[in-house]
Amino acid sequence: MSAFREGAAMKIKHLTAFKHRIPREGRMKVDATFYASGAILEDLKAEDYASLRQLCNVATLPGIVEPALSMPDIHWGYGFPIGGVAAFDPQREGVVSPGGVGFDINCGVRLLVSELDREELATHEDRLANALYEGIPSGVGSSRRDVKLSRKDLEEILLGGAAPLVKRGYGEPEDLDHIESGGRFPNADPKRVSGRAYERGVSQLGTLGSGNHFLEVQYVDEIYDEEAAQAFGLSLRQVTILIHSGSRGLGHQVCQDYVERFIQVASRYGIELGDRQLAAAPIESPEGEAYLGAMSGAANFAFANRQLISHFARRAFEVAGFGSKEHRLSVLYDLAHNNAKFEKHGGREVLVHRKGATRAFGPGNPELPKRYRFAGQPVLVPGDMGRYSFVLAGTKGAMSETFGSSAHGAGRKMSRRRAKKAAKGRNLVREMEDKGILVRAASRATVDEEMSEAYKDAAEVVETTHGAGIGRKVARLRPLIVVKG
Amino acid sequence: MIRMLNHTADVGFEIEAPTLEALFDEARRALLMMMFERPPERGEEERWVQLSATDLEFLLVRWINELVYNIQSAEFVPVRTEIRIREAEMGGFFLEGLLAGAALDLEGYRWQGEIKSATFHGLVVAPEGEGWRARMILDV
Repeated sequence: MSAFREGAAMKIKHLTAFKHRIPREGRMKVDATFYASGAILEDLKAEDYASLRQLCNVATLPGIVEPALSMPDIHWGYGFPIGGVAAFDPQREGVVSPGGVGFDINCGVRLLVSELDREELATHEDRLANALYEGIPSGVGSSRRDVKLSRKDLEEILLGGAAPLVKRGYGEPEDLDHIESGGRFPNADPKRVSGRAYERGVSQLGTLGSGNHFLEVQYVDEIYDEEAAQAFGLSLRQVTILIHSGSRGLGHQVCQDYVERFIQVASRYGIELGDRQLAAAPIESPEGEAYLGAMSGAANFAFANRQLISHFARRAFEVAGFGSKEHRLSVLYDLAHNNAKFEKHGGREVLVHRKGATRAFGPGNPELPKRYRFAGQPVLVPGDMGRYSFVLAGTKGAMSETFGSSAHGAGRKMSRRRAKKAAKGRNLVREMEDKGILVRAASRATVDEEMSEAYKDAAEVVETTHGAGIGRKVARLRPLIVVKG
Repeated sequence: MIRMLNHTADVGFEIEAPTLEALFDEARRALLMMMFERPPERGEEERWVQLSATDLEFLLVRWINELVYNIQSAEFVPVRTEIRIREAEMGGFFLEGLLAGAALDLEGYRWQGEIKSATFHGLVVAPEGEGWRARMILDV
């Protein structure tokens, strides 16, 4: 039973054109703040504020630090809304919630930049699309058979993230400097990860997965902030590669294991659950510590997954005629949008949950690579496969208002079933090809479900993020090749 | 009876059946309808399954996750079940029985995409008239 029922009135205070507040009421321990343009507000109203009610449920959890937040790409999830951000204070009985991280632990995006421009790629596109599709398995039944990992290897990856793969030759040492947290969560504890999670993960390292996961070859078609673009190494017409994937079956299993465990212990800690998917336990409890150890391991697996996919993307470029010596693919940044991390905000250490929200540290943050410190952290906002994605920069506003967080994508507006219905009788792959975008996908169903029209316009999310001051527009990327699971 | 739900980000189903065992088998059928355009109808391979949980909702989540594991990791698609669900003496519920199935054939069954997990969000398993009904959202 939800604490905030369907049909119940939603009291909203409009603070600015893009920032809104739901004052604390009932079992809420803090206010909720959300970011939305007029159009996004209309979408929220059309769904009877279902996702905002989920945000209010998050605000009931113990030890939450004001406010409970959602980003402009908020949409209805399970437990936490997608786009939700919540920080918990370990010193004030704050909790950790596996449902507040999500099943795909540390799912995220990595942007690689090439030294090619769009015109240089043009005659090689078909060959490259095939090489990427063949080189990077996408779904079930097509697991990586060319990278054999023992249980010991996997444990090393769970502890070390992307670095053990770089050590084995799957990447360049400088890749690690351009990954959030250096591509490694500290305090991972492989012993907290179940045997079934290992079993599900062992053959899936270096695979994309299905659903909204993808690999895109794109080009920079617009630059909004010359200085930041220069710091990020982006220029007009430059070819980029965007990879979206997570911790695969290993992460899904870790989440399953701990949601079940937390539901069973919640009442022992006096935690009343408005939604069982919000199951939580105190950060400083045996269960909380065990989950954080397992989650960190799964997060490291996700970093390693994107590292291995990058390696095979580099190899595909070689197959397509772009040798790695003359045509380097460098990591611009790799960042996640489903995790819980200890960070310092407002002078205290809090555990920030981001579920479908991106870390967006502002200028000067010591965690950023030196060349990005003036501009702020690169923030990657993928759109749908037919339109565009964006590169933003983290801001001081995000640091003071959103625990250094920003939007993570466009957000769906159509259910998968509705999208499939809308795609009936159409050949979406041909339609995309007519628009100059090559699609390679393991199943037609995925292409139908992921059609452009099924998503909100990422530009609306980005304008709202920029307008609210929690991210700054830097560049726009247009797809040329889309590889889907 | 199976009715698919339109959840914006994920997928879900509502099902009804005369007995608990039939309800759990309907859930299996709904799962296969989500994963495949042409799910298999026959399979000779057999596997034994045993699950327990504190309540029926918990048991349905474990059941679906067990099936997802069988399909996506063990590459075994259960097409028929012979299961028994009983209340355990010490409380909670116990499910055991046979899964009969076929090897995973992505192209042949027209694979539609992965399921990450069953969720507890909006989950219902309840008696309805003389039978049972359930509602479940899955993360994809």
